[in-house]
Formats: sequence, C-alpha cells, structure tokens
Amino acid sequence: MNIERRSVLKGMALGSLAGVAMGSSGLAMAKVMTGGQAQAVPTLALVNTAVARSAFLEGINASPVSRQVEVQRTDLSLDFILGLEKRLRSGQPQRIIGLVDDATAALIVDLARSSGARVQWLGHHNAAAMASQHRLLSADVAHGCALQLGVQLNACGTGFALTEQRLPARQPTLRLASAAQNAVGSEQWAATLGYTLATLGMRSDAQPPLIASRQSPLTGNFVSFSIEA
Amino acid sequence: MTEQNNNSLLPRGVNDTHFQQALAKFRQLLGEENVLVKDDQLIPYNKIMMAVDNAEHALSAALTATTVEQVQGVVKICNEHKVPVWTISTGRNFGYGSAAPGQRGQVILDLKKMNKILHVDPELCTALVEPGVTYGQLYDYIQENNLPLMLSFSAPSAIAGPLGNTMDRGVGYTPYGEHFLMQCGMEVVLANGDVYRTGMGGVKGDNAWQVFKWGYGPTLDGMFTQANYGICTKMGFWLMPKPPVFKPFEIKFEEETDIADIVEFIRPLRIAQVIPNAVVIAGVLWEAATCNTRRSDYSTEPGATPDAILKQIQKDKNLGAWNVYAALYGTQEQVDVNWQIVTGALKALGKGKIVTQEEAGDTQPFKYRAQLMSGVPNLQEFGLYNWRGGGGSMWFAPVSQARGSECEKQQKMAKTILNKHGLDYVGEFIVGWRDMHHVIDVLYDRTSPEETKRANACFAELLDEFEKHGYAVYRVNTAFQERVAQSYGTVKRKVEHALKRALDPNNILAPGKSGIDLANKF
Repeated sequence: MNIERRSVLKGMALGSLAGVAMGSSGLAMAKVMTGGQAQAVPTLALVNTAVARSAFLEGINASPVSRQVEVQRTDLSLDFILGLEKRLRSGQPQRIIGLVDDATAALIVDLARSSGARVQWLGHHNAAAMASQHRLLSADVAHGCALQLGVQLNACGTGFALTEQRLPARQPTLRLASAAQNAVGSEQWAATLGYTLATLGMRSDAQPPLIASRQSPLTGNFVSFSIEA
Repeated sequence: MTEQNNNSLLPRGVNDTHFQQALAKFRQLLGEENVLVKDDQLIPYNKIMMAVDNAEHALSAALTATTVEQVQGVVKICNEHKVPVWTISTGRNFGYGSAAPGQRGQVILDLKKMNKILHVDPELCTALVEPGVTYGQLYDYIQENNLPLMLSFSAPSAIAGPLGNTMDRGVGYTPYGEHFLMQCGMEVVLANGDVYRTGMGGVKGDNAWQVFKWGYGPTLDGMFTQANYGICTKMGFWLMPKPPVFKPFEIKFEEETDIADIVEFIRPLRIAQVIPNAVVIAGVLWEAATCNTRRSDYSTEPGATPDAILKQIQKDKNLGAWNVYAALYGTQEQVDVNWQIVTGALKALGKGKIVTQEEAGDTQPFKYRAQLMSGVPNLQEFGLYNWRGGGGSMWFAPVSQARGSECEKQQKMAKTILNKHGLDYVGEFIVGWRDMHHVIDVLYDRTSPEETKRANACFAELLDEFEKHGYAVYRVNTAFQERVAQSYGTVKRKVEHALKRALDPNNILAPGKSGIDLANKF
C-alpha cells in the first residue's frame, strides 16, 4: 500500500464507507420530488453478457434502490443504440448506470453527450484474476465513491491500482494502489462498483455486499458509467 | 500555460474575470441551458482515446448553438474576450480526438443541435445539410421518402455526420468514398463574423450552389478543411444514384506477404473504374475484431500477438490474412461485363479465393462490409475497441501510392514498430484511385499507465520512422497535430499561419488544429 493511499485510508477509519460515499452536493441527485416526497428515479442498468453473470448485479441488488433498477443487455446493434437514444431524449428523469465493454461504452457515453445528459462517473477497468486497474473520471456528486471502491478492494486483498481524476481538474488526482494479499480470485470490485453506481449521490446506511471468492471471476476490460438524463 | 482558478479551468491566456464575462454573454445569447460549465456536463466531452492524460484535453465550457446567427454571436464574444473555441459537429471523430478540445481549456462549440437536412434533390442527386445532421438521419430521410439515392459514409456510419467527416477529409467505401471530392458548396462563419459561401453560393438568386464547385476566381473550399479559418455551418455534397444492381464480393488471400500482389491486381481495375468503389484490403485482426473476437480469447500474455495466433484466428474465423472487399454497381449488363473482367484478372493472378454475397449469406464480416459499400449504416466496426480493450485507440493513417511494393514496405514497417512496442498491427488499406489510405488502429489499454506510455511512444516512432521514408499521415488525433504539421514543411506552415493572421488575428478559432496556432513561432 503506498503512502498516498495509507493516509487516505486512515481518514476512512473515522467514518463508515457509506458516509464517505455520500456526496453532499448530490444528495438529491437521484431523487425527484413527487407529491412532496422524494422518490428514487427509474434506473436502467446496462450490462454486457459477461457482466450479467457477475457480481456487478449483486451489488446493484444490495442497494436500497434495487427495486427501481431495470437491467438490460447491451449489444452493438443499431436497434439497441437507437432505443437508448430515444430513451435519453424522452425527457423523463432517469439514471442509466452500467458496466459494459469498451465498444459499447464508446457509443453509450457519446449518446449521453449528444442528448445533453450528465455523466457523473466514467470508469475504465481492467480486471485479471488477482489484480485490477481502475481509471476513473468523476464529478463532484460522485465524491467519495472512488475511495469506497479502493477501500473495498483493499479489504478483499486483491492487488489493484486506482486513479481518479476530477473535472475540470480542480483537485489533485487520487491514486490508490496495493499489491495482492491473497491468492484467491475475487469479484469484489464488480460488486462494490454496482453498489456504488446504484447509490451514487444518495445517503445510504447499507453496505456493498461481500462477495465470496470465485473460481472464474470476471476478467477483462470494462467501462462503468453513471448518467443522469 | 492554461490558467486555472479555484473554481474552473480557464482557456489559455484568459483570466477569470474575462471568462466569467464571456460566459455571461454566452448565456444571454444562447440561453442558460446551452452554456455548459458543470463537471457532469463536461465529462462526456472528455472521454478521449488518445495516449495522453485526460487533463490535457479538458474543456473549460461547452456551448451549443442552433442558428448561424448564434454562431456569429459566439465568434463575436470570443473575439471580445480572446476566448479560444473548438468546434465539433457531431463529435464522433473517434480515435482522432472525439469530442474533446485540441488544447486544454478551450471552449467547445457543439453544433449537434444544428441538425436540419436543408435540401435533398433526387434528380440532381445533391444534398445540403447542417453540421449536426448524422448519416443515420440522412439514411432515414432517404428511406422514408423512397429516394433512389445511396450514401457513402465512414464506418461509424449512422452516428457520424457528413459535414464533420468531410471537413476532416474522411473517406467511405462506395464509388463516392472520397468525400471531399463529392463536396459542393459550403457556408462558413469567419472569425470576424462574416458568413462566406464558397463556389456559386455568393451569387444572389443562384440555384447552382450544390452542382458547380468552382464558382469564379479562387476556389477556397479546401482551405477550410482540416483547418481553423472558419466554422462550417452548411455543406453541400453529391449523392450517388442508387444502382439497379449492386454486387459486393470478397477475395481472401492466405498470406500476409500477398499484399504486394493484391495491390498490383486491384490498381488497374480501380483506376479504370471497373471496380468503382473505395476498395478495402483488410488485415486479419481488423476483420476478426469486428466480428467479436477478443485478444483475450487467444492469449492473456502481454505484448504483441504472435504470428502463430494470428494464423489460428485466421483459420478459426474463416478469414484471409488479407480480405479484399469490393463491389460492382450499375445495370445487370454493366455488372456482368465487369464481373468477367474481375474474375479474369483474378484467374491470371493465380491466387485469392473469391466469395460472393450468395456464398457469404448473412455471415460477418461480409455482411457489414457489403452494407458499408451500399450505404446501409451499421456499427459493427466498433468491435475493434474490444480487441485489446481499455479504451485506447489512435488512428495512424499514412498515405501511400497504390503500388504493391510501397504497401508491402509500409505494412512491414508498421507491424515491426507496433510489435516492438508490444502492440498489434490492426490495419487496412482503403484504395483511392491512385493512392492508398493505409489506416492502422493503434489499440491499447488506457487503464494501464505503462501501456498508455508505450502506445504514445509507439505512435511517435511510427510518425518518425515513416517520415524518414518519405511518408506522412493524412489525418491525425489532436494530441499529435503539431508533430504531423512539422512533417509537411516550414513553408506550408508559414503560409497557413499567414492566412491565420489575416483571417483570425485573435487566434480564437480552434488554435492548434493541424498545427495552426498563432502562439507558434511562424
């Protein structure tokens, strides 16, 4: 564990993960007011075939907003892209989160841009059995989420490297890294990510689920995102 | 140096007071909702694929305009406050810079909302569109109105746009594949706010703007492409009449060393217009990646993919080491005659296995290639980004003569350099009439800082080594614009900067585009 990360994690011990995950500026981000009561907006979770079988969805399911989440498989067809574009332009408040392959992500994120949606989180992930790398770009509303991911990765003992940049680069890049502490494959990163994206900007006392080690954990390159339309 | 305060990134040379004043004026001109400054509004503009840090291409704000008058207004405000503005049309220039600004801190002017198809003439086969019009939109228009016309577009097809693609001198795969050649008439907002129409466009009452390119006196259209002398707000171009018969075919060649023979075989057919379209000669990894093959399916070892694996992929996916895609267009009689010529020439060559549409059926990659050659949008080629994964992609696109020995030399050089840096040759040749656009996707994993650094070094070495042999790229991502400008010589650069000083003395329009920036010492 490097020094930068050690000091950050020491600070983390003062509060719960969920507490840090709460972005003060974004408490109401994922909520709309209906009849005077705050309700979570509908959320679409986009996953590719590999992710659909992973702990990413377990993370979403463990979140307090799991009932508002609809899951959809992605592909590179025009039908999928046009359908998503229609949804983004529908004018209905909604969130779209996901963990997909690079090709699909290139299209999804640019559709978000062209439809005028907001992107609070954009992560590139490379996961091997015993280590993962995470390169994140995040907005204020996602403050603390990268840290939460880092803490969980550290706790489960897999090696990882994580960098988080904030736009427009107002704060220094967050860098966390640790060598592998055990020899068991883990999908904890995917579960924590699913939970983090589902609850991004919300106050939640719940915790990301702890995932048992797997023989064939989710590996490869993926892109995560949180979009608000 | 880009300036920065506590709250926001600032454009180069602009202090916070001036920037805030400019933003206030932009809001008054465009409305609050069209001036984007919040971090979650700017992040989607910063998803870059180049091997540099995102921060180098971070934007300070994004504006969206809907009318020419608003574009004029933006330019006026930029002049008043010396704010540099980087214009995008659809922003889908993936691998060449995407929707991010060329330089850190620039304001993006996003013309996506200027998306009107102003005119399509099915008799003269012409179109006039705004910057935000996509090929998909145009395709739908043609289908809905049952017009006998065919589009030519680059591989991102449906979501990219004709104006942006042509302004960046992109290519497609039909007989109209050299897009700038088919451009006819443009409207440009100059840095001083004037609206300039090229060709016949300045003549009062004219109706020949989209049919006669040259007008009178100097023809300046080309000067505005890949340049920063104006903001194109309308562009005319020619559409191909839909032929009664379209016959796509593929020719598979077994060996990587076949490239020289392939080019010698294709060139005379292409120059004589027996094969009229922009033929593609695609390498095995290009075609494998576009039909959902990932490197991790075959190897998890770092570095370049060994030739033995390439051969295995070729076998598993029923591909050639080189895969030639071409098509014949016209009446049945024309197609029959040309088919005889093509098959006769192939027989004389003595190698290559021809595959027709009837034989290929719905299999990939034949299907998407046939669609591209007949103007039907698809997104199949995005599969390239999953070959190695990690979101890194930079197009290395050197031009060569359509000569076998030249193409073989370029391919060998490129593969050697890429492999040296642990990356793969994922390339294709797009055959112009006499030239080759040798297009190589430098794919790498951006989650790995080490690999990103390696990819950057690889790209630089490709440019350097190719330059030593007299080769240069025709287009490049925004991180390497200045470097590529150097390849084309000082005199050209001095002329370009003299034009810039004359047309945009405040250096507000996309400084840095193609290396043109008044901050340079020219």
